[in-house]
Amino acid sequence: MPVRSNVKVPDAMDAFIDKLLAAAKAGGIEQAEAYMRRTESFQSFVENGEVSEYGVNSSGGLALRGMVGGKMGIAYTEAFDDDAAEMLVSGVLESASLIEDPDEQFLFEGSPSYAELDTLAKTPGGGTVDEKIKYACDLEKLALSLDPLVTKLGYQNGVESTHTQVRIVGSNGLNLRREADGIGAVVMPVARRGERASDATGLRLARDLSDLPMEEMAREAVAEAVYMLDASPCASGSYEIIFRHDAMSVLLMTFQGVFSAENAQKGLSLLQGKVGETIAAPIVTLLDDPHREGGANTRSFDDEGVATYPKNVIDGGRLGTLLHNLKTAKKDGVSSTGNAAKAGYAAPVRVAPTNFYFKPGGDDLDALCERVGEGLVITDLAGVHAGANDISGDFSLLSKGYRVRGGRKAEPVEQITVAGNFFDMLKNIKAIGSDLTFPFGGTGSPSVWVGALSVAGK
Amino acid sequence: MVKRQLAERALMKALSTSGDFAELFFEDRLNNSITLQGGKVEVANTGRLHGVGVRVFKGTRSVYAYTNDFEEAGLLACAAQAASALKESERTGAPVIRLIGSVAANLHPVERLPGDVAGAWRVDRLRAADAVMKSVSSEITQTICRYADSDQRVVIANSDGLFIGDRRVYTRVTLSAVASDGTENQSGVSSPGAMGGAEFVERLDVEAHARKAANMAATMLHARQCPAGVSPVVIDGGFGGVIFHEACGHSLEATSVARGLSEFSGRIGQKIASDIVTAIDDGTMPGEWGSINIDDEGTPTNRLVLIENGVLRGYMIDRLNARRMGNASVTGSSRREGYTYAPTSRMRNTFIAPGSDDNDEMIRTMGDGLYAKTMGGGSVNPTTGEFNFAVMEGYLVKDGRIAEPVRGASLIGRGSEILLKIDRVGREMTMAQGVCGSVSGSVPTNVGQPMIRVSSLTVGGR
Repeated sequence: MPVRSNVKVPDAMDAFIDKLLAAAKAGGIEQAEAYMRRTESFQSFVENGEVSEYGVNSSGGLALRGMVGGKMGIAYTEAFDDDAAEMLVSGVLESASLIEDPDEQFLFEGSPSYAELDTLAKTPGGGTVDEKIKYACDLEKLALSLDPLVTKLGYQNGVESTHTQVRIVGSNGLNLRREADGIGAVVMPVARRGERASDATGLRLARDLSDLPMEEMAREAVAEAVYMLDASPCASGSYEIIFRHDAMSVLLMTFQGVFSAENAQKGLSLLQGKVGETIAAPIVTLLDDPHREGGANTRSFDDEGVATYPKNVIDGGRLGTLLHNLKTAKKDGVSSTGNAAKAGYAAPVRVAPTNFYFKPGGDDLDALCERVGEGLVITDLAGVHAGANDISGDFSLLSKGYRVRGGRKAEPVEQITVAGNFFDMLKNIKAIGSDLTFPFGGTGSPSVWVGALSVAGK
Repeated sequence: MVKRQLAERALMKALSTSGDFAELFFEDRLNNSITLQGGKVEVANTGRLHGVGVRVFKGTRSVYAYTNDFEEAGLLACAAQAASALKESERTGAPVIRLIGSVAANLHPVERLPGDVAGAWRVDRLRAADAVMKSVSSEITQTICRYADSDQRVVIANSDGLFIGDRRVYTRVTLSAVASDGTENQSGVSSPGAMGGAEFVERLDVEAHARKAANMAATMLHARQCPAGVSPVVIDGGFGGVIFHEACGHSLEATSVARGLSEFSGRIGQKIASDIVTAIDDGTMPGEWGSINIDDEGTPTNRLVLIENGVLRGYMIDRLNARRMGNASVTGSSRREGYTYAPTSRMRNTFIAPGSDDNDEMIRTMGDGLYAKTMGGGSVNPTTGEFNFAVMEGYLVKDGRIAEPVRGASLIGRGSEILLKIDRVGREMTMAQGVCGSVSGSVPTNVGQPMIRVSSLTVGGR
């Protein structure tokens, strides 16, 4: 594992873990595993050239999982005082006594080998505090200088960085550590003309401050905010739809749970029993690549300690595999795909993709528009937590974008909904663009022409 | 949980540079969660969250730092780190701070604390719900029942001398059902909650909530797609109140008002809604899910009139944004998920007050449109006022009569427009529980309203 020498897990924590595993054994827990996650983060949001909100934080916690009579109990804490080990052990014992899950559970002993991956920034924190503050101030200044209609920015504009450490230590010899850096910049220009207001968000993620393209993100966001000032609803009806890369990333993120074997086994995904079958157009390949260079979720082992590897979840339209952790793999008689994931240190082990994206095709967005001829490009989707249902696949989402007429970008459109079904949409995909981006972290996409969908407008 | 003398030292450390106000938020929280999947206990866990947040102001600038470490060295280091962000002008001689201890008056007495209830008791309640859901229809193919409670103890101290303790106990049951015919799935949910302990679940009609969730899933499985278009919409009470929460509530939070970003900035005293609309944000309602004793800055909570007969009366204002708004008064509604978030103005129990219209009449006279019986969640962009929300259970209305169920509907619009288009407000206000996510994390909030009618709204569907 790459471990940078200037940040390390406090020795006191190693001592606590040793004490805890001993207490677990003494308390009658047959096998135990301590999972610790710590995050150091820094935020600097600016307003009028000064830092308006500044945050510097350090927090984390530890979860204990333990096997008692074939059942897995779990308890967690953020306090590491004298009572903590005792509370964790008694919590695991009570939890295990309640569990009735018939599926076999077990703790992992370790994979034969783990990939060497670079997940750290070139400089600690991705840059110094002063550099980050200067970047945030320069970004604000730039965004406010580009167009006379943009005189204000939205709620948070600035830089945020995180350094995360994960440690897994098991009574059966598992002993793993990983670290990762992430940094992001955000700018939210607000364009106003009379009573009309329109905003857009520029967001970029990287590991080092020097890799965040200030000029590009500010220009794109300002241009979009100003352009959308003239937007209005289009007529209701059926339209050929291109989801721009960022909107498509949102849609994929919203429905990524359908590729979880856990959801499938529980009857919560319509992909249950579909491995090997055609579920998408032949041009569709969907990858989960935990080894992707620079990926937000690049990692050599998952949250059960299983070594990760790249895989085609959809391969030329065929469902290649669902994503598995140890428990779901055992149930389906396959091997874990290294996709065990805990939403936080305290969360139960579930399943999630790592760096998850549609394989890009050859056309850029302009070329896709040319092929579509008449239709709509959707550039922004809102309310996905409410207007999309991954159990049914149905979505009906507030959208923004622009009309495509004669193969070219025409007038801006807002206050419309685009409705469809994710599973039907996968089968109808007409073309995949070349412009792959990862706007929000691990899940990304190029622009995709998905065929005709229903639009509610005026 | 923390000694007063230590808090005094930490506040003085936090003000050792040029800050003019400092605040500490100590949190120690026990969480329990049990989930039954298909009738079997799948998750049972307990845990303890523990940390402290240090906030320092200088004018309208704010610094926030947090740590898990309550010990003297860790806390003082965290305070020093916050202070160092304002290092450009060193203070000569730190202020002397003397804290006066108090305990928040408890408006929401708890009879059975989470720690007094066995896990097996919780499981039994969930099992009863599970059985009811499965009995509703053979098409119910999956059930998820969750019982979650938490016992949060906080101490809030600030450089004005405040040192106040509070305890917040929350209990919630979430019942979800999935109906399937093999090729299609539909879901239904009901998730009642309270600021209170296990007595809430003892008195709760768990079976009625289970039936509601299962019926919703089974009904929607046989519903056709909602057609897209613009039409009148009747929105039922309870979770229907999410319409006000999204379309207007967020835009009345100082978070967006103070910077002039909200469409309702600078409009106090102006008519922003139809005359029949009065809207309240009330933290004092006994035992309600969105209630509090004191807010997360230590200010006693209150009842705030947001809109009175269509006229904008008030905003939700926290300490930092009060400064940005020319020393406006705070409203006791500054909230945060926990110590990892700086607090800001948020909603509590937010509802449209009862009106004088008849429910049957508003449907009978609407012509063709949509009856939204159960709403899902939604979201809003406070800068533009554009909102959206999902209809979980909807019915077409044809010629003033409720006709067949429809699925997949969503409602969109602008807050400033929809408030003026409310043309009926019913007489009986009911509330429902939600978890509201925003800049200071996820906090429990109630939404509520009587049945209302909106004369015209864009309905998304296909």
